[in-house]
This record gives sequence, structure tokens and C-alpha cells, in this order.
Amino acid sequence: MVFTSFNFLIFFPLLVVIYYITPVRFRWLTLLVASYFFYLNIKPVFALFVLGVTISTYIFTRLIDQTNVESRKKSFMLLNIFLILLPLFFFKYFSHINAGIFSLLESIHIRWPLPALKLIFPIGISFYTFVAIGYTIDVYNEEIKSEKNIGILALFLSFFPLILSGPIERAKNMLPQFYSLKIIDYSIIVEGLKLMLWGYFMKLVVADRVGLYVDTILNNVSQHNGTTLLFASFLYPIQVYADLGGYSLIAIGTAKILGINVMQNFKRPFFATSMSEFWHRWHISLISWLTDYVYTPLSFALRKYGIWGIVTALMITFLISGVWHGAALTFIAWGFLQGLFLSIEALTNKKRAKFEKKHNLGKNGLYIFIEIFFTFILFAASQIFGRAGNITDALTIYKKIFTTAGSKLFIADVGILVFALLGIFILLLNDFMCEYFPHVKLLRNKNKYIRFFSLLLLLMYIISFGVFDSGQFIYFKY
Amino acid sequence: MERPEITNKLTAIFRKVFCNDSLVLSNDLSAHDVEQWDSLSHMLLITEIENEFVIKFKLKDLNKMRNVGDMIDIISLKTDC
Repeated sequence: MVFTSFNFLIFFPLLVVIYYITPVRFRWLTLLVASYFFYLNIKPVFALFVLGVTISTYIFTRLIDQTNVESRKKSFMLLNIFLILLPLFFFKYFSHINAGIFSLLESIHIRWPLPALKLIFPIGISFYTFVAIGYTIDVYNEEIKSEKNIGILALFLSFFPLILSGPIERAKNMLPQFYSLKIIDYSIIVEGLKLMLWGYFMKLVVADRVGLYVDTILNNVSQHNGTTLLFASFLYPIQVYADLGGYSLIAIGTAKILGINVMQNFKRPFFATSMSEFWHRWHISLISWLTDYVYTPLSFALRKYGIWGIVTALMITFLISGVWHGAALTFIAWGFLQGLFLSIEALTNKKRAKFEKKHNLGKNGLYIFIEIFFTFILFAASQIFGRAGNITDALTIYKKIFTTAGSKLFIADVGILVFALLGIFILLLNDFMCEYFPHVKLLRNKNKYIRFFSLLLLLMYIISFGVFDSGQFIYFKY
Repeated sequence: MERPEITNKLTAIFRKVFCNDSLVLSNDLSAHDVEQWDSLSHMLLITEIENEFVIKFKLKDLNKMRNVGDMIDIISLKTDC
């Protein structure tokens, strides 16, 4: 059962009814049962992993709180992190390590058949593992007391709107809310529904329709010329934004209807004027997690090296981000490029600020447009590695873009492309308006007729042009 | 060390790190209020503060710094030790 499945459209309204007739002090229990029911419906055995992570995290965080010896606290923290990372490493990296060992043995003429396991990747494991690690570190740093109620902790780690693809939330935000699941008003439910509706638009109308074209091209790199590959490479970041951004909005809207506020995960990323700003607008929950638990401790430890300590910390953080997505060389290349872009920006920050101040470029529309365009190009260029099946394909795309550009664009089905581009236009227009004209609203207009007809139009557009059979969200595979 | 003295020294450091001679500190000033104050420049700020006040922060101190007021409190504690 996923957000775009018919089962979810039956499950969620039923849950809302049961939730609101449950006495307030037992609502957390309703959510816990619903969350495990939701996850068991994906694949029953997956629930064992989130249960294991929950039990381990509960035991070790309680031990951290109950000891006064600093070295013991640290040991409990590190032991829990090690234990809960084990399944993630196993499922994500075992087959790569296995293949690597096998190649190495073969290269020295040793044929030793290693067990090759056909593993089904537990969806969401990357996300709830990070949530659990963040919680463990927060308890160790005394930012939060360990949760005494294992049921509430279990709910935090398995909360169904977030478990499959985030946002990666923090205990400080979520745990207090589970203790105060009060009656909420109609306007908050409507706000939640609006978020869900826009999320469905992003996913079904934009991401999945763009994906029909982009997948045709980028799954067959050798068959297409530079122009087509360039065009598909420009569309792919928008597909990812619409897919994960759409999922996030559905998750946030679902939680809101249940009275729970979840952090924003995207903030109009394609209007960023630098890569540094981009990473404050794209997959915000992951990047803020990496900033708090990887970059800050690293850069703090390396601070005596000044700007070069920062550069080192950036490179390591984004290499970890790349590896979080997957163990393939393409993800490592992707992470390396992000670190490189941000490092160059950090090293040239003062010079750029002086240049902009000297020429009064801060509010120059053309300069801002060039910055936005250049930032998009950089991200799209790095996403070639993020999308490609292997390094050879990624390098082939680059080669063809630079050697066979100007050749004829492959269109395939005109209808798919036209409606994909129309969807993108609506999405980016909405983002543009929110960025520069936030007072102009349609879905949240003061006039109830404008609100009603905007909602109706949006719903009809989703039903008419949504792709309802394209399958999973992109980030399920991470 | 007294708060006014800490504030004066801190002001000089902020103006140097953010290249802004008109920057004025207040207790509730935070990263949201200062352009270019992000996780990258924050560490440069921390190093300058440690050098100026001859103190050493712990990682837990950083987590407690939500604004300039918190920063001054922590510096005051460390310089009085």
C-alpha cells in the first residue's frame, strides 16, 4: 500500500474516522497500530527490521540516560548506531561488496563461489535508520530525554506518513506532538487536504508523466543523440523534484490531518541562486540531518584548518550523502560533485560577495536569473551521475552532449511530451509565484469561490492527466 | 568577563567574518537574520571566537547556541572559569 494506491484511498479516510472517535489519550496507539498495519501491507517481514531498530534504540537510549559515566554513554551511543546500521549496510551494500570481492578473487585466479543472496530491499530502511540514529545522538547530547514509553518511540520510528521516504524528522519535534493529539479544527484538515492534493498533482501529473519520456531516453543511452540526452537530463531533476517533493507533501498533508506538524522538505529549489542555497531548499530533512550529525561534528573537529577544514568536512559529508543513495560508483561521483561545487563556493564566497556589492548586483533581475540558471545547470549535470545505471552510461551521456548536440530531438509520443511540459510549466509557475508574489493565492485565496474553483480545477486536472499505473516513488529504492 | 566587553569583541569578529561593518549585535540575533551566516561560515566564526577569547568550545556548546545571546552566555561562563 503506497500513497498512490487505491488501498490507501480506502485506508486513510477509515483511519481518520477511527482516529477521531478514539479517546485522545489512546490516539497514539491507534496511529501505532495503523503505522504497522500500513508497513505490514508492503511486506510483512519488513516490519521485523523497524521493530528491531526500535527495540535496540529504546534499550540503548534508556541506558545512556541512566548512566552518569561519560565513556559509558558514548559506548552505548556508538553500539546502538553500529547495531542499527548493520541491516542497512547488509541490504544496501552486501551485493556490491560481494561482487567486489568476487572480482578481486577472480583477478588473482581464485574461483571461490561466494553466497549470492537475492535480497528484497526493505523500503524505508534508509529513512527510519537515520531517524533512529539522530534520536540516539540527541539523547547522548542531552538535547532530549530518552523516551520512557516504548510504544511512543515505536510510533516515532514507524509513523506511516513518513516511514517510506521521509521527511526525516526529529524527536524534539515529533515526540511532544504524540503526547498532545488534541482535537483539531476543520481548517487544519482542509489545509492538510490541499497539501495532499498538490502532492498528488506533482507526483501523478508531473513526475510520472515526465518519467514516461525521461525513462525512455535515459534507459537507452546508446540509442539517443546529444540533443535528446541533454533535454532528458534537464527534465530529470524536475522529475525527481516532483516525485520526492510530491511524496513529501502527501506525507506532510496526511500528518496534518491527524494533527501532527511535519517539517517542510522542499522549498522551491529551482529558484536557488547558488548551490549552497540550493541545498537549503532541496531534500531539506536529509541535508539538515547530515549537517547536524555529520558536517557540524566533522567541521568542528577540523576547525583549526580554517577554510580547508570546512572543505574537507563538505567533501566527506556529501560523499556520505552519495553513498546513502547507493554503493554504486555513480552515487559516489554524484556526492563528490556536490561536495566540489559547495567547496568552490565556500572558497570564493568573499570574492563573489565583494564583486556583487561593487557592481550592485544584489537586486539585478538579469544577474539573479543567470545565477538561478547556472545553479540548475550544475545540479542537472550532477544528476546525470545520479540517474545513470553505471559510470559508462554517465560518461556516454556527457560525451554525446558535447559531440552530437544540435542533432534532432527524439520526441516519441507528442502527447506525453506536451502534457509533461505543461505540467512542468504549472509546477514552476506555482513555485515562481510563491517565491516572488506570495500574496497572490488561488488555493488559499480569501474569496471562497476562487478557492473552490481552483481546487475543483486541480482535482479535474489530476484525474484527467495523472498517470495512475506507473508504479513506485523514485526514493523507495534508497 | 563582563557582557559589554564580550559584546564589543564579538561585534568586531562578526563584522570581520561577514564583511559587514554596519552589523549590530543583539541577544536574539541568529543565523536567520544575517545573510551569509550559514553552517559554513559558522565554523569560521567559532574559530575566531576561540582565538579571540582564548577558550575552547565543546560540540555540546554549539548545539546550545541558538542566538547571539546564548553565545555570549557560553563565552561568559568559559572566560570566568
